[in-house]
Order: sequence, then structure tokens, then C-alpha cells
Amino acid sequence: MRCAVVAAGAVVPGNDARSSIRKTMSQLLCATLLDSDALDRLRELDPTGKTRLMERVLRAFHSSASRLAQQFRDARTSGDMDGIRHVVHTLKSSSASIGALALARLCAEIEGSIRAGAFAALPERLDAMDRELAAVLQAVTPMLSPVDTPT
Amino acid sequence: MTLRAEPSADDIPERPRVLLVDDDEVNLLLTSVALQDQGFAVTEAASGEAAIRVLADWLPDIVVLDAVMPGLDGFETCRELRVLPGFESLPVLMLTGLDDDASITRAYEAGATDFFVKSTQWSLLAGRLRYLLRASRTRVELERSKSRLARAQDLARMGSFDWRRGQDGPVFSIEGLRVFGFGPGDQPAFRSLLRMVPEDERKAFLELTHSAMDRSTVLATDIHARLLDGRQRIVHIEAEPEFNEHGNLVGYTGIVQDVTDRRLAEDRIRHLANFDTLTGLPNRRQLIWRAERALDHGRRLGHEVALLLIDLDRFKIINDTLGHGAGDELLMEVSRRLRSCVRHSDQVLESSLESVGVRSHRTLEAVGRLGGDEFVALLPEVVDEADAERVATRILEQMRKPIMIGLQECFVTASVGIAIFPRDGATVADLMRNSDIAMYAVKSAGRNSSSLYRPNLAGKGREKLELESALHKAIERNELVLHYQPKIDVRGARMIGAEALMRWRRHGTLVAPGDFIPLAEETGLIIPLSEWAIREAARQARIWQDNFGFSDSIAVNLPSRLFERTDLVEYIHNAVTTYGVPHHAIELEITETGLMKDLQNVIPSLHRLNEIGVEISIDDFGTGYSSLAYLTTLPISELKIDRSFVRDLGMTPQSSAVVTAIIALARSLGLRVIAEGVENLRQMEVLHRLGCGIMQGFLFSKPQPPEDIERWLQQTVLPKKAPWIGQATAGDTPEPARALRGRESRAKPVGKLT
Repeated sequence: MRCAVVAAGAVVPGNDARSSIRKTMSQLLCATLLDSDALDRLRELDPTGKTRLMERVLRAFHSSASRLAQQFRDARTSGDMDGIRHVVHTLKSSSASIGALALARLCAEIEGSIRAGAFAALPERLDAMDRELAAVLQAVTPMLSPVDTPT
Repeated sequence: MTLRAEPSADDIPERPRVLLVDDDEVNLLLTSVALQDQGFAVTEAASGEAAIRVLADWLPDIVVLDAVMPGLDGFETCRELRVLPGFESLPVLMLTGLDDDASITRAYEAGATDFFVKSTQWSLLAGRLRYLLRASRTRVELERSKSRLARAQDLARMGSFDWRRGQDGPVFSIEGLRVFGFGPGDQPAFRSLLRMVPEDERKAFLELTHSAMDRSTVLATDIHARLLDGRQRIVHIEAEPEFNEHGNLVGYTGIVQDVTDRRLAEDRIRHLANFDTLTGLPNRRQLIWRAERALDHGRRLGHEVALLLIDLDRFKIINDTLGHGAGDELLMEVSRRLRSCVRHSDQVLESSLESVGVRSHRTLEAVGRLGGDEFVALLPEVVDEADAERVATRILEQMRKPIMIGLQECFVTASVGIAIFPRDGATVADLMRNSDIAMYAVKSAGRNSSSLYRPNLAGKGREKLELESALHKAIERNELVLHYQPKIDVRGARMIGAEALMRWRRHGTLVAPGDFIPLAEETGLIIPLSEWAIREAARQARIWQDNFGFSDSIAVNLPSRLFERTDLVEYIHNAVTTYGVPHHAIELEITETGLMKDLQNVIPSLHRLNEIGVEISIDDFGTGYSSLAYLTTLPISELKIDRSFVRDLGMTPQSSAVVTAIIALARSLGLRVIAEGVENLRQMEVLHRLGCGIMQGFLFSKPQPPEDIERWLQQTVLPKKAPWIGQATAGDTPEPARALRGRESRAKPVGKLT
């Protein structure tokens, strides 16, 4: 199920563009960054692709996650636990929405640890989250521009 | 109630308006899209602050709030919007994380309607929103209906209560509390409620309550309650038992209602039905009801009951001379005095009447008004008749003091008849009748006194009294009639006048004059009776005048006391004027005895009557002791030879001697003479031979109704068919001179009449 790739390409209109995206996405998905079930549910909201929902969602995620990534780094630097908590809380649900389940799970764990005051294993997890976030952002980025300007 | 109650559709709006608040762009977008897809109109807000701004001038159907947001978070936002007017019952759904129990609790605390764990299962959220909208609509409907019920209950001064088993007392709704004068927050203890009920009622109420609970039956009763502010109310309580699934009583549920106004109206109606409006005393119906209760008690407890019938003396005169207004005032004052003579109770304690041995029947004691000037005093328990007589004496004493009506001082006396149960009657009707008989006995004996009923008053006495009371009403009921007996000029074989004789048609039969005229004289009723006779005779004279040219006189018998009345002349004048006949159409007959008894008082009237042309005839002449000296000076026109002399004519020489003497006397005084009671031809012949040519008697005609007289004239006199006709005319005895003179004197002009 994880490699149910092709469907994602359905949102892409142009034939040339489609092949290139398909390539990129298959890489992404096979990297198990985004959950196909979650993406299916997103697709159900816009079955014909008429509203270009997928693109709008990913764009919204990208902009919000990029901002949160910066907030996250700032908060880590200044040791602002509340800041971190806010970031992971928000990121938890939005990443789950686009199927970035590993990231969502990491965020949930971190949120839980902070709430529980279990700071021991926190730095490792934060590092892991930072990496995962960067990866997801990186994976999402190429999905935006080609679609944005179809040839 | 909120504005949201306005949409009239039964279900939720077609496109429910959702305010979606989430700081997470991705969620905001996805949720929004998902909800729009499901038919919602979504307005987005990226923060709590933005949401509050939007809500300032817009009302959604539902709000979806993310719980955790920077700045104003979901909880705070919910709290803030709840205090906005119109948002009290707006459904608010809080979005929380799956593992966030604390948020769920906080969400409810903040006033959220429900929570929803964030999920990417969008249809679940839409379903939840629809459910919330329906629930909210139902709740609005419920509140509306509750408030309608509250208003209806308020209007009906009604409220509800619940009484669970084991609870100290009933728990009232706000409206229920209001019935007892409490505010919404009050929680009155059962004991303090009970204390509002008058002590004597409290025990009975508790017994009733316990017995209903013991038997698990419906409780329905009215209680009096004195509210804390002092107001007296009557509260209707009605409660039904409630059972659990095992059929055990778990409590009562019911209503309380302030029925004071209704009860007052009912009391007023009852009062109108049972009390006299003028005096406020119990009326006939109420009195009879009380008397019946009193007799019941008397029978059970073996004591005597007294009924006093009180009739005012000469009340009619006051009414007639001072007017009905004054009469009413007088009755009211009399009522006040009568009340003071007994232990009068306006209200009867009905509830306690049934209990044997209790002296509650004392509350039956009262004075009541039967109507007119008739009152009754009911004494529910007397030791003996002297007890009742003492009350009667008190009543008579109370009446003795003058009563001021306006500036007029009136003196009223009363006649009181007393009947005692069981001696004088076993039923109320018997006692009423016998007290009436006793009262009439007082009246006949001169009024202003009291009398116990005695059996000897009844029998003949009773008949007489009944007769009297009936005679009272005879005139207004048109039961009186006049019959006429012709006065015959034997020689001319013609009718020259008639004597009017009163008859009383009672229950279809004629009462003989001898059976009621003496009674009428005794009671004074003879006055109105005679007055009526004068008018009736004048009326008949007019009818005969029109029918056959009658121009003679109709003689009316008057008692001497009527001659004493100064207005007699005026009365006769009015009577003849009314019917347009001359004064001489009426002739008055007075008995010799009556005339001589009151001679001095009668003479002035006779003169005045004579002056206007009304002739006077002396009836039953020869039986009294006439002073011949006076006879010569009296302005009379006619002597009537008493029937006893006529009867004996030709049988005893004395009778013809008397008749001869009377005729001679009449002649010498220039008076007409007439013989009455002529029954056979022999009497007629003798009288005629002796010089009396005018006669009256069965030989010619018995007294008959006026129509029969006309027929008699038509069929007997005019065709000269009677045996007496021709007999006298054959004779050559001259007609008495006086008769001619009499007719001439009648021909005198009589003023403006004719």
C-alpha cells in the first residue's frame, strides 16, 4: 500500500509533467514519508482535481511547516519548551493530515514527553523530528513547483 | 431563548453556517473543504481573536473551535463567546487531540457543547455537526415549550412539584414556588409550608395526604394558605402517584394552583343564590336548607328547634307613603335589628355538621328574609317554648325603637308566630305553615305581639286565616266579581236600578258573601274591596249605558267606616269620571245599624255625596234603632225594607204592620221605599197594596252576572213573559209619590259629567 504511487499523479494535468512528477513522487513515497491512505482521503475531498486541493494543502503545509521549522529551531536555541510544544502540537495534526505519519508520531511523542515532564530522551527525539521535518519539507517541495507552472 | 430559535423549519437549516477556528492552516483548509463538501457554509478564522471579531456582527449555526491555539485558545474563545448575547445556547464543538483527556474536561468547563477528536475522517466530523445542530434545535424547542408552559402556568397561577420517596418534602418548580409566594431560589421546607395552613385544617390535610400515600391513590384537595406576606390564598393540590418498574410507589408528581379567585367567584355565586341581596340575610332557599339541617340535628340529638315567622305590621303603608326606597332602607334597618336578636351566623360550617354530638348546628342559627316584609328566625336548639318566646320578645322590643328613614321617624311593629319542632310539625313545611298561622293569629288579635302555634288556631281558624291571606290577593288576581240584582218598578214592569253584590270566584267556585264579607270587615280588607266595587259598578253602568241605554243607578253596599274616609267623594268622582257616567250612576247603600253606629262621622260624607248627586239608601231598614229625629235631617233618598219583614208578610200581622209603618214614614219624609227579598207573588201583591211599588227579590231575579241581567231584560222583561208582570199593573194602587220625586231629583244636572 505504501507504494500506491500512481494516483498521486492524477492531480497533474500535463503528460510531460506527469512522468516527471510520477518519478519524484515514487521516490518520496517509497521513502515512506507520506502515507497513501491519508493521501487517498485527501483525494476523496477533490476526486476530479478540479479545485486543485492536493496542491493547496501541500502548499499550506509547506508554508506552515517551514515557518514552524524556523520557530522550532529558535525555540530549541533559547530552550523555550512552550515554543517547542506549540510547534509539535500544530505540526502533529497537520503532518498527519498530509500523511506524514512518522513526523506526526514524533510530534505526538515529544508533546507527550513535555507534558509528562520527561525530558531525558527529548534531545534525541527533537533531533529526529528536526530531520524528519526537513525530509518531509524537502519531499513536498518538488511536488509544488511543477504543478504550479504546468508546461 | 436565543435568536436562533427564529428559523421556523422543523429541522436544521439547509446549509448550516459554521465558524471554523483553527490556527493550523492545513487543518483549517482541510476541515473547511471537507465541511463544504458535506453541505456546510464555512467561515474560517485563524485564531480565537479573529473568531470573536467575526462573531461581533454575525451569528453562525455552530462553532468549531480548535482547543490549542496560540493567543486566545479554544477554551478562552468559547468562554468569551458564551457571554455574548444570543450565544448562550449556540452549539460549540471543541477539537481536541486523541490523547488529551484534560482538554476534553476543560472544553466542557469552558461551555463547549461537545468535543471532537481531530481526525482525518471528515465525514465523522460532518455527522457530529449535524447531530449537534439537531440536538441544539431540539433543545431550543424544549426551552421554548418550557417557557410557554411556565407562562401558561404563571397565568393559571399554577406550578408543579415532585415528591420523591425519602425526600423531606415536595420540590417545586419556580411557578410552584410562586404560588406559595416564594422566589425562584427559595427552598421552603415542608414544615414551613404546612405552617401556612390554618391549624384546624392542617391535621385533616396531613391525614388526607398520608391516606393517599398509603393507598397510592391520587391526591386532590384544596387548602387555605396564609403566605408569608400575610395574603390568604386557596391552593388546589393535585398529585398522581408514580411507580417504578417493580410497581412500587416512588413518589408523587403533581401541580399546585392558586384557585382563590375562582373560589371567591364561586362563593359569590353561592352567596347570590342563598342570600337576600337587599339585606344580605339568608334567603328563603338558604333558610329552608338550614332549617332542614337543624331538624336533622334535632331528631338525632333529641332537642327542640324553633321557627319564628316575623311579619312587619303596616309595612305596606310605609312603602306606599314614603316610597320603595324608604321601604328598602327600613327593611335593612329591621334586618340589622333582627340579626342582633339571635346568634346569627352567616356561614354554616358544613364540614362539621355531620359529626354527631358536636354543637356545630349552632352555626345554623340565623335570621333570614323570606321576601317582602316577612322574616324568619331559626333557632336550631331551644330548651323549651319559653326560650323561643324570649327571642320573640327581644325582637318586638328591638322593633319598638323608631327607625329614621331620611328625616322621617318611622314606627314599625311586628307580629311573630312561633312553631316548635317536633311538637308543631315534623317538617320544615309544617313548621312554616304553623308559624304562619300563629303569626296571623297575632295579626287578627291586634298585631305587635307574638304567639306560639296552638292546634286550636288551626282547624276553623286556619281556614279563616288561609281565606284571609287569599282574600288579600283576590283583587289583584281578578277573582272578585259583581253580581247584580234588579230593582223593579212593579207597576211599570221595568228595571229601575240594580244592587251590586260582591262575589268571590275562588278556585273556580263562588264563595258566598257571608263567608268572606265579615272576614273582610274584620281585617279591614273591606275598604279596598269596596273601593274596587265602586269602580267596577261604574264600569258596568257604562257598559249597560252603551248596550241598552241604562241611565239608572247601581247601588253599592258600603260599610260605615268607608264613609268616614274624607276622600270617598273624590274616589267616587274619579271612578265615574274614568268611565264617563254621571255621579248618580252610583248609589250607596249603608245599613241602618252601620249608619247609626257612626252617625256623627258619617253625616258630613253623606251631605257631600248628596250634593254631587250620589244617592244614599238605608239598607236593612227596620232592624236597627234609628233615631227618627236624625232620619228627618239626613240627606238620604231611599229606605229598604228589611227582608225579614217581607218574608213574614201575609203570615204574621206584625210584619205587615211594620211594613205599613215604614212605608208611611218614607212617604212622610219624602223618601223612596223599596222592599227586598220578595220571593213570591203573594208578597209582591201585599207590598203593592200597602203602597210599595219598588221591589227586589228572587221573584224577579236572583243576583246574576251582568250579561245574564241583559239577557233577562231581553227575554223576560221586555216581552213581558214573567208571571209577576201584569199582576201589579192590573191593580190601581197609585205609585208612591216619593218614587217620582226620586227620579226627578236624579235628573238634576251633575256637573261636568255626561
